[in-house]
Amino acid sequence: MWLGIDVGGTFTDAVVIANGEILAQAKAPTTHTDLLSGILAAVDLVMHGMVCSGVERVALSTTIVTNAVVQGKTDTVGLLLLPGPGVNLNKMLPELPITLAGYVDHRGRETSLPDEKEVIKACEQLQDRSALAVVGKFAVRNPRQELQVARWVKEQLPGRHVTAGSSISGALNFWRRTNSAYYNSAVHRHFGEFSTAITTALQQRQITAPVFVLKADGGTLPLVVAEQNPVETIFTGPAASVLGIMAMTAPSGETVSLDVGGTTTDIALWQDGLPLFASRGARINGFPTAVRAFWMRSVGIGGDSFVRWEGEQIKVGPMRLGPAMALGGEYPTVSDALIVAGHVHFGDRAAAMKAMEKLTRNGGSSENTAALVLEAAATIIHQEIDAMILEQAAEPVYKVDDIINGRPIAPELLIGVGGAAPGLAPLVAKIRGIDYQTPPGAMVANAVGAAVARPTTEVTLRADTSQGIYTVAELGLRQKLTKRSLTPTDVRDLARQHLRERAVQSGINFETAEVVYEEEFNLVRGFSTIGKILTCRLQVKPGVLRAICGKEGVL
Amino acid sequence: MSGKPLGLVFFPAFDWAISPTHPEREERLLYTRDQIVEEGLLDMDTIREYKPRLALREDLERVHVCVPNIMSLITDAHRVSAGGAITAAEAVMRGETARSFALVRPPGHHAMRVVHGTRGFCTINIEAIMIEYLRRHYGIGRVAVVDTDVHHGDGTQDIFYHDPDTLFISFHQDGRTLYPGSGFTNEMGSPPAFGSTINLPLPPGTNDEGLHTILDELILPVLADFQPDLIINSAGQDNHYSDPLANMAITAQGYARLADKLKADIAVLEGGYSIEDALPYVNVGIILAMAGMDYSKVIEPDIANSVRHQADSTTAYIRNLIADRRAVWNARDSLQKEAIQKAGNLWRRQKGIYYDDSGIQERQTESVHICPHCRGYLTIATEAQGGRFACQSAFIAVSWRDSCGRCRAAARDEVMQAKKQRQYQHYFLQDLYQDTLEKI
Repeated sequence: MWLGIDVGGTFTDAVVIANGEILAQAKAPTTHTDLLSGILAAVDLVMHGMVCSGVERVALSTTIVTNAVVQGKTDTVGLLLLPGPGVNLNKMLPELPITLAGYVDHRGRETSLPDEKEVIKACEQLQDRSALAVVGKFAVRNPRQELQVARWVKEQLPGRHVTAGSSISGALNFWRRTNSAYYNSAVHRHFGEFSTAITTALQQRQITAPVFVLKADGGTLPLVVAEQNPVETIFTGPAASVLGIMAMTAPSGETVSLDVGGTTTDIALWQDGLPLFASRGARINGFPTAVRAFWMRSVGIGGDSFVRWEGEQIKVGPMRLGPAMALGGEYPTVSDALIVAGHVHFGDRAAAMKAMEKLTRNGGSSENTAALVLEAAATIIHQEIDAMILEQAAEPVYKVDDIINGRPIAPELLIGVGGAAPGLAPLVAKIRGIDYQTPPGAMVANAVGAAVARPTTEVTLRADTSQGIYTVAELGLRQKLTKRSLTPTDVRDLARQHLRERAVQSGINFETAEVVYEEEFNLVRGFSTIGKILTCRLQVKPGVLRAICGKEGVL
Repeated sequence: MSGKPLGLVFFPAFDWAISPTHPEREERLLYTRDQIVEEGLLDMDTIREYKPRLALREDLERVHVCVPNIMSLITDAHRVSAGGAITAAEAVMRGETARSFALVRPPGHHAMRVVHGTRGFCTINIEAIMIEYLRRHYGIGRVAVVDTDVHHGDGTQDIFYHDPDTLFISFHQDGRTLYPGSGFTNEMGSPPAFGSTINLPLPPGTNDEGLHTILDELILPVLADFQPDLIINSAGQDNHYSDPLANMAITAQGYARLADKLKADIAVLEGGYSIEDALPYVNVGIILAMAGMDYSKVIEPDIANSVRHQADSTTAYIRNLIADRRAVWNARDSLQKEAIQKAGNLWRRQKGIYYDDSGIQERQTESVHICPHCRGYLTIATEAQGGRFACQSAFIAVSWRDSCGRCRAAARDEVMQAKKQRQYQHYFLQDLYQDTLEKI
């Protein structure tokens, strides 16, 4: 029995899943000032009449970090940078940093050294900070200086959390790692308190199963691991939604998914069974971070979208002026059109008919008007899908082959979830001339997604044979190579060893690890080849632990 | 800052090399990529990255006459880098960006109008292709090209040598000490375009101070006089003190300040082969300067080890060069009249052109037909020996976009006549008014 919980903007959903089916589902209002009480209310509702000790896994998609940032429940962070030469970031960070000596260049070579006395002096200025972040440029190529400075800071300011930038992300981007490390430290204490509270509360209910937290990239982390990297658990709503879709439909090939809500439709493009990632990390308070997330676009079309005539055209959304007339609202909505067209069945059908009559011109029938409304709504979604495909095709690539042979994504299947999906998804699919699916159970897709999300981890191994060293940024590792020449296969094997270590430490199954990125360059100096630089990123990809039959449970 | 971002077309062509250990190889922009990505430049609101488009055959043939034909001489990578320059320029023309930088490879400034192969790592001239594209599609008139590569931009000079609307300024290490061995002060443009080519050969060891003196006292005032619609920077980076193929002493700060002062509308990467010690810093410096950001902290980690003292003789030479070139510039109208008078209706020159990468030796005779009513027209007789095609010869006539009807007809007649005499293997007519390259 698996328990999945999704903390949404309005409701906290909980589901219990067993043998690939939704056994129970429940909803409780989200309590923004004290998320825990809403979570526990949903848990108590969904577990009603079940044996709590039968829960084998708890997974949580929570807004705890988002809320902490929005509500200012963050700690003051002292930011220490080893930026070396380059961009002056001072005015582009959430906090004015203290700049320290020391520099590692693009090959991971130390070109100047950090100074302990300078760090001690900096720490004197930072006595009032509750947490700290230390970030070095190119520390992902050689974390030694960054980790050394972090140790000195810990000695000077004991008991305070220190985030090292390279532990947050193994990818290049000093600016993003700095912002990520800053927010990681800022929410560390708050997340830790939440983590302790929820563990205690679950234990009181005899739920002793391991607890996992969803990340923005769709992976999950054991709660204890997440305590070190809480910033990763921000913005998990979209991840939960697409994982729910994945669990209930298992798309393959090129697909487009729609999550049609009350006011917006969230669109994602899929390739080989996985939604595309955003090419850039998420922004927190406007600051770009290294937090990876799925790529979604919201368009202002949903069940509650306001419908009216503007000149000779029926207009739909993006504003919402209240609920459907079928539910006692004042203005015609998309839901009213869906009811009249017979796609959904709720509320007062007569009121929905009245909504369409209000809109009817030139003596047409209400059914015709409803069709016009839905066609207009579907067209807007269709155009937004096209815009996404164009944007994806315009992503820069760095190889000739990718320019010549690259082609835009061409979705062959449309998947629709959410209340208004059964009416809108077929229409959008028809305009595009593709097949569609509207899996049942979609009302709790997010909680299902959280429940079945696979624990993930990754390592980025970079070997430089002319220096005879390799680094694994995520592990803070820089070691001598035992062989003088390496093939990509050697590098993959080495990466796999380290991934295994990391996965075992975190209690994560690593069997499904895949190479997600590879590079191989010859190093040539003075017309002769003196070595190679090889990079391999190995990842246990986000995914679902098992498929779920989306039969609606009884509330 | 104007509020608009810098357009950046970054295309390192990670799967393309002239040969595995050639300076123009996959690794060339690897460390530049590392630095740009690590700095977070691609995420900044002040910079907008663009994917390069693929240049079309007609874009290339608006500039080049390739012998025996274009497709046998170029690779897809050339179409991407030329397309990248066009993408960068179009972002400016459409008003999306304040300026743009095409940080692309392979480079192009040694490629001349007639192409038999690859020379100085260049096969097609990506700036020239971009400029003629802008003239055709956006009605651009006067253009200034400032070539800041350490090597003389002989290809760009060749293509615009008869064009009074394109001011070509190149500073470079003296041709007596470096490839391609040209770019002397007496190369000033053919009579119809006299004065629109300015060469500034500099002694080895010229440093930031020398460079900025020549920039402040000569290049910038000449640009102000010329009043171009667009300034293009052929932004080679091999004047850097660490470049393995040249002997100058410019720093990343020197290059960044240059970009800041020049305020080019579009910069296009050319050479630069100190791929680890210079390119990451010079490129970041140029990007920041062009984006209107603080570049003062872009300093090479090894700068303390560099020798950057400029010899007194160099300083004195630069003073003289500035005075001499300013005098010519100021007298350019009367000097041009003299040159036209002296030439009469025909100006002719012979050139030997060596294609180091392809092992080809070309002999060329260029004839500029001077017309009192228009820019006249050009004929080129070319013979190339060596390389893949062993022996290739062609006779080419070029009429300009603003050539008069009589000159355009005369250009066609000359090719027809030449074909009847069967001295050459190939005959081409490049009619830029019609925007066509015809094989006759």
